[in-house]
Amino acid sequence: MLILQLLLNGLQTGMLYALTAAGFSLIFGMTRIFHAAHGATFVIAAYAYWHITSLAGLPWWVAALGATMAAVIFGAGLYLTVYRRIQRSEASFFTVFIAAFGAVVVVQNVISMIYGRGFVSSSTPLSRAKELIPGLYVAPLIWVSVAVAAVFFGAMALLLKRTRLGVAMRALADNPELVRVYGLDPGRISLMVFVIGSILVVPAAIIQVIATGANPAVGHHIVMISLAASIVGGIGSLSGAAIAGILIGVAETLALLVVGSQWTEAVSFLILFVFIIVRPAGIFGRAHAH
Amino acid sequence: MTSYLLNILVFVCINGILAVTLNFILGYAGIFSLAHAAFFGIGAYVAANVGLHVGPSILLAMPAAMIVCALLSVLLALPALRVRGEYFVAASLGLQIIAVSVFAEWHSVTGGLGGLVGIPVPEIFGFRIAGAGPMAVLSLAMLALISGFLAVLTRSSFGRNLMAIRDSESASLAFGKRIAATKVLSVAISAGLAAIAGVLYAFYVRFVNTESFMLDTSILLMAMVIIGGTGSLWGPILGATLITLLPPVLSYVPYLPPQQVGSIQQIIYGMAMILLMVFQPSGLVALFKRKEKSQ
Repeated sequence: MLILQLLLNGLQTGMLYALTAAGFSLIFGMTRIFHAAHGATFVIAAYAYWHITSLAGLPWWVAALGATMAAVIFGAGLYLTVYRRIQRSEASFFTVFIAAFGAVVVVQNVISMIYGRGFVSSSTPLSRAKELIPGLYVAPLIWVSVAVAAVFFGAMALLLKRTRLGVAMRALADNPELVRVYGLDPGRISLMVFVIGSILVVPAAIIQVIATGANPAVGHHIVMISLAASIVGGIGSLSGAAIAGILIGVAETLALLVVGSQWTEAVSFLILFVFIIVRPAGIFGRAHAH
Repeated sequence: MTSYLLNILVFVCINGILAVTLNFILGYAGIFSLAHAAFFGIGAYVAANVGLHVGPSILLAMPAAMIVCALLSVLLALPALRVRGEYFVAASLGLQIIAVSVFAEWHSVTGGLGGLVGIPVPEIFGFRIAGAGPMAVLSLAMLALISGFLAVLTRSSFGRNLMAIRDSESASLAFGKRIAATKVLSVAISAGLAAIAGVLYAFYVRFVNTESFMLDTSILLMAMVIIGGTGSLWGPILGATLITLLPPVLSYVPYLPPQQVGSIQQIIYGMAMILLMVFQPSGLVALFKRKEKSQ
């Protein structure tokens, strides 16, 4: 029973990781931008949702809309004001990483100045655990998160395969110069990638606020797990990010059987480390790591 | 006041050693490691344990810490042989996270989250190095020694091999260079010398816990090297000096609400990182070089 309980908990965490990893993987795969501030987008979305529901007392869908807008404005804004300028100067990927990390520091501290460093959460009847079968406690939220993740991943797969924008985005990943030759603007497509990638963190951020609560420092953890999951899954692969996200979520909770909860992050990164040494391209990777 | 300034000088030197050794693999070998703070930590923990259980001699702690770090650096060299760029960054990030978990949980050696206290005042040939003054002299000497050693090394054939591998692995392979051995050795040198910073830190602060060796420190060190300028001798030292001086300078800025000082410092610091990367991505040292050329 304990194992089943842990598996379900892991699934819940895994859904959250899958969604944030998908956004990170999409952005990294298509634009080659190491978006370390993805976690900051997550924190902004989480606090926007919390502010609108708990402080302003508005219904959840208004809050979800507000959180989406906040995430998109931050993600796309960061691309336009910082990443694009750095890319123009032909700097290395690492310059982008340092700048993105600077953005994480700024966001984390601005938010803790406004709302404090503690956890915020808005609990709903959804997050109250019920005894499903004797000894197995499950909050209905888990079914919501599975459904939400399924909807978002389905929509993303359709977008990438069936729409002109999706085709253009995949073309950008393969050959940005060719995209330009065909009269498309790589900058514009990259901007759309950032918009979509930022939207993908919103459901994860909302689930986090409802399930366990968020604090200003949670972005760190989110971006590291996203990075791990997108590499384990294969950069740029949606299904890879989904599977790796769930894999890491489940592995983290199952590890509780053997070691204490302080080791959960180390477990994820051990998986990542082994993958990089044994199979750097990831589960579904086509791209070469070299 | 003097001891306050000397205290800052010690930290400038410790960070300088870390930045210079990180720059050795980052600037010359193209190995972007986010695990440098882990080796800083390992050096500090080894020194603390030697100090607590064996004796207060720095000449004993330093070789021990260097050997342990150089041996453990194989863990970093392993992914460096397999992957480059972003993938290596992720692997080193993994090592850093795992190292912090080990620091926090291996109670018998690291003291857990509480850390190790009561590290003795260090000695060199029986001469006690107590307080900021003597420590500043020692750290300055170590920084000069390490920078000098690395400057000579990068100008030698080994350094040229390293840069050749950085620029084109296949070309240097074609010239018969032993890539794996060169990479492993350079990582070991970098980690082994970073251990010295750890030893100085442990014996100066005389208290070590995980706080000082977290991912934030690794990123800070990375920022020092990049802000100063990679692949140069003075760049990392300049970057280390600026970043170490920032908090003490900011604490003199008037009218900051006292309970928010920490956050405001961090925000200024984050903004500086963004702006420097946008407007001066090749580092501050490039600024001086350009001026020299135009004159």
